Amino acid sequence: MTKLGIMSFAHMHAYSYAASIKQLNDVELTAAWDDDAARGKTVSAQFNVPYFDSLDAFLASGIDGVLICSENIKHRAMVEAAANAGKWILCEKPLATTIEDAQYMVDLCKKKGVGLGTAFPCRHVPPLVAVKNEIADGKYGQIYAATCTNNGSFPGGWFADPAQSGGGATMDHTVHVADVLRWMLGKEFTHVYCECDNLIRHGIGTDDVGSLHLEMEGGVKIAHVASWNRAKSFPTWGDVTMEIIGEKGVVTVDAFNQKLNLYNDEVMKTQWVNWGDNSDLGLVRDFVESIRERRDPIASGLDGLRAVEVTVAAYKSAESKRRVAI
Amino acid sequence: MRLGIIGCGVLGRFHAPCAVKAGFKVVACSDPVRANAELLAAEHGAEVIDDAMALCASDNIDVVAICTPTHVHAAFVIEAAKHGKHIFCEKPFCRTLAQCDDALAAVKKAGVKLFVGHVVRYFQEFCAMKQQIDEGKIGKPGFVRTFRGGQSPLGEGSWFRDFEKSGGVTLDCIIHDFDWLRYAFGDPERVFSQNLRERIDEGIDYAMVTFRFKSGVIATVTGSWAHPTGFKVKAEICGDNGMITYDSSEAPIASQLRGAGGAAPGVVLPASPVNDSPYYLEWADFQGWLQDKHAPRVTPEDAVWAVRMGLGAIESAETGQPVTF
Repeated sequence: MTKLGIMSFAHMHAYSYAASIKQLNDVELTAAWDDDAARGKTVSAQFNVPYFDSLDAFLASGIDGVLICSENIKHRAMVEAAANAGKWILCEKPLATTIEDAQYMVDLCKKKGVGLGTAFPCRHVPPLVAVKNEIADGKYGQIYAATCTNNGSFPGGWFADPAQSGGGATMDHTVHVADVLRWMLGKEFTHVYCECDNLIRHGIGTDDVGSLHLEMEGGVKIAHVASWNRAKSFPTWGDVTMEIIGEKGVVTVDAFNQKLNLYNDEVMKTQWVNWGDNSDLGLVRDFVESIRERRDPIASGLDGLRAVEVTVAAYKSAESKRRVAI
Repeated sequence: MRLGIIGCGVLGRFHAPCAVKAGFKVVACSDPVRANAELLAAEHGAEVIDDAMALCASDNIDVVAICTPTHVHAAFVIEAAKHGKHIFCEKPFCRTLAQCDDALAAVKKAGVKLFVGHVVRYFQEFCAMKQQIDEGKIGKPGFVRTFRGGQSPLGEGSWFRDFEKSGGVTLDCIIHDFDWLRYAFGDPERVFSQNLRERIDEGIDYAMVTFRFKSGVIATVTGSWAHPTGFKVKAEICGDNGMITYDSSEAPIASQLRGAGGAAPGVVLPASPVNDSPYYLEWADFQGWLQDKHAPRVTPEDAVWAVRMGLGAIESAETGQPVTF
């Protein structure tokens, strides 16, 4: 039996991870802790999991690994506490808001001999896995370019407070696709240009649209949109899409386009109901296996760091209005 | 109005019936491939004039339509203007800004009217999008994304695949989007772009272009001559009170033929099953302007701006840095 704990429910993904843990055999969610005690107690009751007022008691409760779902800015301190207690760690994305923090977290976990994973569930989305395998098999030949999106709805709350999130939509929605591209193509990013601003929901104090132009090793050219631009009336939360241009052909993948159209008169807007596999379940399952196998999760802390480097460079480019090297 | 057509390839043949419907009479045709000129001339009872410069000078012609490869537009515009002809010129107006300046100067000096075929301004779906925006249906627009493209066109002598002649997918194809974006959102401040123009000889070009407009709007345009088949247009406009999306592949008609299909066409044109073809509407607009009934939807200055946006994108892709207008 592997025992897991959740640190902070600030990020809504914590709810999905908790639900995923409940679905797995030989895994138990045995502890929860939150720096917001009221929230921690409420959610713990909801998932019927013991809540700990003290972080030390939480870490000493016999758990094997922790899932950290705090505000971005607090990832470092929580990873530090968990690593020092010898726990395996799955940290929500982005791993950190600065390269220095991400590097520190990676180095510390290595030093302490604990596994560190970044929550990149896209690596467990079957359509993305299928395209990655097709590329690896040479179906599209050499890859020349790609146009990608990670659009979303406005998340509100701490996400739009740079003091807690480190940035806006560009911070939130660049790292998934940056990681998918590195994973699919096996190449690192070399350059980024970014236009970003607060253009959709005015006055939020941070960017809600980022349009990035990236280059990878070997001159692969990438355009990527990171946004919170979906209207409230849009049928779903957002998307991850890619159009990949290769030597032997073109492939497009709309990662979550396994859906029904639902027309419900009580809601009065069209909704998309996803029937595809639950990628959070795949993410959590891999985390559990990584604990048992004493390895890093499939998307490691280093992968999280590489994605952070892209985001940080994107903001530097937007500030300077120049393309910058990564 | 008596019309002479220079360039009787895919677009010359395409424009002729639209011009006729708008009240023009096709009286002369010219093409370096004489058979092309003869075919079109026979359909309209027109004469064939082998020398296009002589067509520009002909006393029997009021308007010259230039449907040639891009790099020679300027020479014919200048010659036609010199002989007092009004001019319909396919987009892009010219291959370089110097050519734009020379051609526009000749037009102004001669006092003739020049209309450049930025036909997307007449496409019903793009008109509907602009109307929704102008009526405030999505609030203040902030972000735009468009896609246009598919299979790489060839053209006579494969001129589309000669970057020096066509300017690739950036100057030939997504210049449609550049013009429409400026029409809808005003002048751009700067542009950044990446492309695959180095592969144009293989029949592949692909461009990813981001404009920052003076209004603050960010627009990212993708153009493809990299797809093995087909042609598609997509648009998405995000405002502070809603969104618009459009995808040409969600069309009312879808047909599949069993058995052998035809050879790949020389150029791919979007199909728009509507009563009035947008190509007819642009000719009708030009006709109305010639009759002093109204100003044209596309001015010569608009056409120069579209070239400026296209060349700015190409320059950015070359330097790896944004280009400010």
